[in-house]
Amino acid sequence: MSILIDENTRVVVQGITGNQGLFDTKLALAYGVKIVAGVTPGRGGEEVYGVPVFDTMLQAVRNTGANAAVTYVPASRSRNAVFEAIEAGCGIVLATAENMPKHDAVQAVAMSRRADAWLIGFNTNGVISPGKCKLGGIGGNDPDAIYMPGRLGIVSRSGGMSAELAWVLKRSGMGVSTAVSMGGDRTTGRMMHEYLELFENDPETDAMIIYGEPGTDNESKVARAIAEGLIKKPVIAYIAGTFQERYPAGVSFGHVAAMIVNKDDTASAKRSALASAGANVVTTLAAIPDAVRNVL
Amino acid sequence: MKLTEDLAKSLLRRHGLPVPDGAVAQTAEEAGAIAREYGGAAVVKALIAAGRRGKQGLVAVVDDEQSAARETSRMLGTRAFGNPITKIYVERRATIARELYLSFAFTDQNLRMVICCEGGVDIETTYARNPEKIVVADIDPLRGLKAWDAVGYWADAGLKGQALAAVGRMTASLYDAFVACDAVMMEINPLTLDDDNKPLLVGSMMEIDDSALFRQPWIEAEAVSETSANPREAAVILANRSYPGGESRYTELDGNIGLLVAGGGAGLLQHDMIVELGGKPANHTDVSPAPGTEKLEAILDAIFTNPRSRSLLIGYNYLQMARCDQVAKALRISVDRNRVDPTRFPIVMRVFGPEEKKAREIAASIPGVNYLAPDATLEDGCRMIVELTRQAAE
Repeated sequence: MSILIDENTRVVVQGITGNQGLFDTKLALAYGVKIVAGVTPGRGGEEVYGVPVFDTMLQAVRNTGANAAVTYVPASRSRNAVFEAIEAGCGIVLATAENMPKHDAVQAVAMSRRADAWLIGFNTNGVISPGKCKLGGIGGNDPDAIYMPGRLGIVSRSGGMSAELAWVLKRSGMGVSTAVSMGGDRTTGRMMHEYLELFENDPETDAMIIYGEPGTDNESKVARAIAEGLIKKPVIAYIAGTFQERYPAGVSFGHVAAMIVNKDDTASAKRSALASAGANVVTTLAAIPDAVRNVL
Repeated sequence: MKLTEDLAKSLLRRHGLPVPDGAVAQTAEEAGAIAREYGGAAVVKALIAAGRRGKQGLVAVVDDEQSAARETSRMLGTRAFGNPITKIYVERRATIARELYLSFAFTDQNLRMVICCEGGVDIETTYARNPEKIVVADIDPLRGLKAWDAVGYWADAGLKGQALAAVGRMTASLYDAFVACDAVMMEINPLTLDDDNKPLLVGSMMEIDDSALFRQPWIEAEAVSETSANPREAAVILANRSYPGGESRYTELDGNIGLLVAGGGAGLLQHDMIVELGGKPANHTDVSPAPGTEKLEAILDAIFTNPRSRSLLIGYNYLQMARCDQVAKALRISVDRNRVDPTRFPIVMRVFGPEEKKAREIAASIPGVNYLAPDATLEDGCRMIVELTRQAAE
């Protein structure tokens, strides 16, 4: 098993005829992903790399049984794309757009929660269950170079760091059940602890590695979930951004969300909250393989 | 983007909300004339997009046109937050029987309203003294805030009678305006009531979502664009506007190691690591992949022309989409343009992924560039640049 996506996932690509949609679809098909449909209004009846294109999500889902959507539409139309995917019945929606209008983002999150759907993103490069399925550009043109199948779960606030974590594991002979780039914005479809709770219930995941940053309640909620016993499997945590505490508050150095809002949001505060809850906090990537060996 | 008071209030006025009359003056004479129109009773405020102006002597309550002109002369030309004050907002003085507090903002997953029947002071001060007087309500973004919700919350906060009905209804309209304007923060302090319990939005601070400016065209036209007093930071901001692709950031700091790091996460990690190793970054950057090399060149130019930079680390996450050779190309162009000698100005590259072979060929044509071997970690790059920078300084 794995979380969210596996070999049975049937994927529909929203915006399949755009540049990014075309590019990622080609790579995903090469990886063996079951992309069963694409959607671009006005382009229904065409094909992209053998994948049928529909005018609406509802047509795509009815005709192909797609159950997961990847949206490559621009930020200005992403909220509606998410609404459409959810109304069409997709239980998993991955939204890649960067620079989402914030009102749109919270509306999309509220909509997906109301429908019991799982929105991943915004500002994500994807999710991958190595050897089975991937949504989004994660892994690039050679996912096998970075993501090896295995029994560790990854949840990362950064797509690039998800790759660095998987790569450092692979070089120590360890693989990944599912790696999630959950999105780097302040507002994300689901919060970090919700992914960890999925891993908690996945019999093929033994331990989880998280990458966190300053800003947002994501990591403090993970600490609470561990302390409350909702997450019992080992959690190894890498939280970057302690250097920010040397500079005036309010200066943003990375992702939009990585802005220190108050003293509980700093990297140091998150590290200590996670450590006291029982997570294994590491301060270098190189320390991660040993940390995994120690907890398993 | 934080709006100055005149913009925030004209925006609220356009949405049919009650705000005091007011106008912008650039000279003492203009300020006097505006105050005269209001019968002399006015408030004169320095027009800067920042709160707590009162504490800095940048707000004056005046009774006549002469004092309005005098206060305006006093404020014009002084500086606040590093910038000279060039505009003054003159507003009709409100009749205030009671002061309330109201704000809308975002939480991680929701929208949140904070209200209190004690306005006119910082909400932090009220929170410290009487936290029980503050009502915090999360708002469902799909449903919005209805008038009856707002009446309920204000009743919880202790408002009664005619004031409760008027303020409750107005709060729902204000929330609609907050959404319609793509505001990310709105603080009304004070929200005043006159003797007839008529509400007026006297203190109005607003911040608009930069990611939504495409559908708020008038705001972009009227508001002051973001810029920086630092010419290199300003050049990167300009490059963001001029070239396609995601937004890149460049912030100067007080160290000597130039950083070109991507994405956001790897940037934080490498900055942490360099500081831990005793190095001091000359800047922080966050680069988003973009077509072409122009934006990268702009950042490299900024780093090379920063008088404090003594070295450069180009540390990228394992690239999954973007091409390595674009980075090397930009480096080649900027090194030539700025006559940088990498044998004296150490440059370390940790850039792996698509088109890496081509990138290595280009980098090899720049003598002295250290392109790390394919198994090097982000941390290896940090160690090397700190060591080389130290050696170069000796």
